[in-house]
Amino acid sequence: MPVVELTVNERAVRVDVPGQWTLIQLLRDGLGLLGTKEGCGEGSCGACTVLVDGRLTRACLALAVRADGARVTTIEGVGTDAALHPIQDAFVRHGAIQCGFCTPGLVITTKALLDEHPWPTDHDIREFLSGNFCRCAGYNLILNAVRDAAGVVTEKR
Amino acid sequence: MILRPFEYVESQTVDDAVAALRGGGDDARVIAGGTALVPLMKHAVLRPARLVSIARVPGLADIAPATSGGLRIGGVATHWAVSHATLVRERSPLLAYACARVASPTVRSMGTLGGNLCYGESASDPAPALLALRATVRLHGPGGARTVPITEFFTGFYETALQEAEVLTSLDVPAMPAGARWRYLKWTPRAQEDKALVGLAAMLVLDGHRCRVARLAVGGVGASPVVLARAEQALEGQELDEATIARAADAAAGEVEPMDDLQGSAEYRRDMLRVWVRRVVAGLAEGRAS
Repeated sequence: MPVVELTVNERAVRVDVPGQWTLIQLLRDGLGLLGTKEGCGEGSCGACTVLVDGRLTRACLALAVRADGARVTTIEGVGTDAALHPIQDAFVRHGAIQCGFCTPGLVITTKALLDEHPWPTDHDIREFLSGNFCRCAGYNLILNAVRDAAGVVTEKR
Repeated sequence: MILRPFEYVESQTVDDAVAALRGGGDDARVIAGGTALVPLMKHAVLRPARLVSIARVPGLADIAPATSGGLRIGGVATHWAVSHATLVRERSPLLAYACARVASPTVRSMGTLGGNLCYGESASDPAPALLALRATVRLHGPGGARTVPITEFFTGFYETALQEAEVLTSLDVPAMPAGARWRYLKWTPRAQEDKALVGLAAMLVLDGHRCRVARLAVGGVGASPVVLARAEQALEGQELDEATIARAADAAAGEVEPMDDLQGSAEYRRDMLRVWVRRVVAGLAEGRAS
């Protein structure tokens, strides 16, 4: 089996993976990081979104072997139960979470959004989150949360 | 959804990739970003025994200026990279914009321009832009390198001029003429993340109100992305009045062979193409650009 060496949430790891595994299998089945969710499994829904070398990535489409040498950020690397990241905090305060399945992907995508647009317009937000489906809480609450988080995250810089 | 086992080859050079593809025969496939190929493998539409990666070949993602004033874009440059590159935004804003309309930000940051074209999807966003810009495709195969005008690259429903064991290495994109007006219109009747039902790329050069150059191409309508040659002819050399623009829109609607599918009927596609050619050209003629 191929050996993949990578950094996940600032921790160096070495994993044996079957060659046909995708990155989400490496994260969930190989490392037990269950925060990243698999929705559609074909790149449409955005639930599995992670950052690979800072770039937005669908973990269900990326081959695990391709992650060799990469730096991966998953939802587990964004905040902790004790200290939520401001993006997570905003999602909670605005009721932008219902079942929570899409939330890790949305939080990661919002993180990438704020890296590129510290003061995003509503158009920027809608455009950036256009590949992340939520089927319960509703997009307006998510939009409110992201607007709010943008202020908090950017003010802190 | 999981993948069936395959052999994975990480190529260091284009020649390595070509050799690995030849060795794998019909069961070998090139993989770059994987955004098109991996879903097809998950659904068992394709079952390659060997995947030959070209994603890490040095230089293959480069975006460089060409001496002609145009651009050379490496086959594995991502849509994200192309749409964000200052060089592309300056020299070929139509292409930068079309690449920024592909799927979603995450898919754009994984999927590559070369992969997009080799997939042969009719509703490709960059394809009509590259057709309107009259780009050239550079391929490398067992017989060496060759070039194909993009106007001859798309040969049918998910079919391209790519031959066995060939790799798309780069694209040559001519500079847009000074003062060119352009637009890429992606008509998705249902939702933003859908494929284009009409993906219309247009570039016009005007002398006053007379059209000196007209370049129009469309994806999503027929089996392949195509140049709207008759519509271009109807515009070039003419004053862009309402009647001329309507003639060009009718010419476009008449020269395509639209598909019928769940997104829309053939006649709906034909009608929407007529509508959008008229609106886009009229908008550009009035200076309501991009």
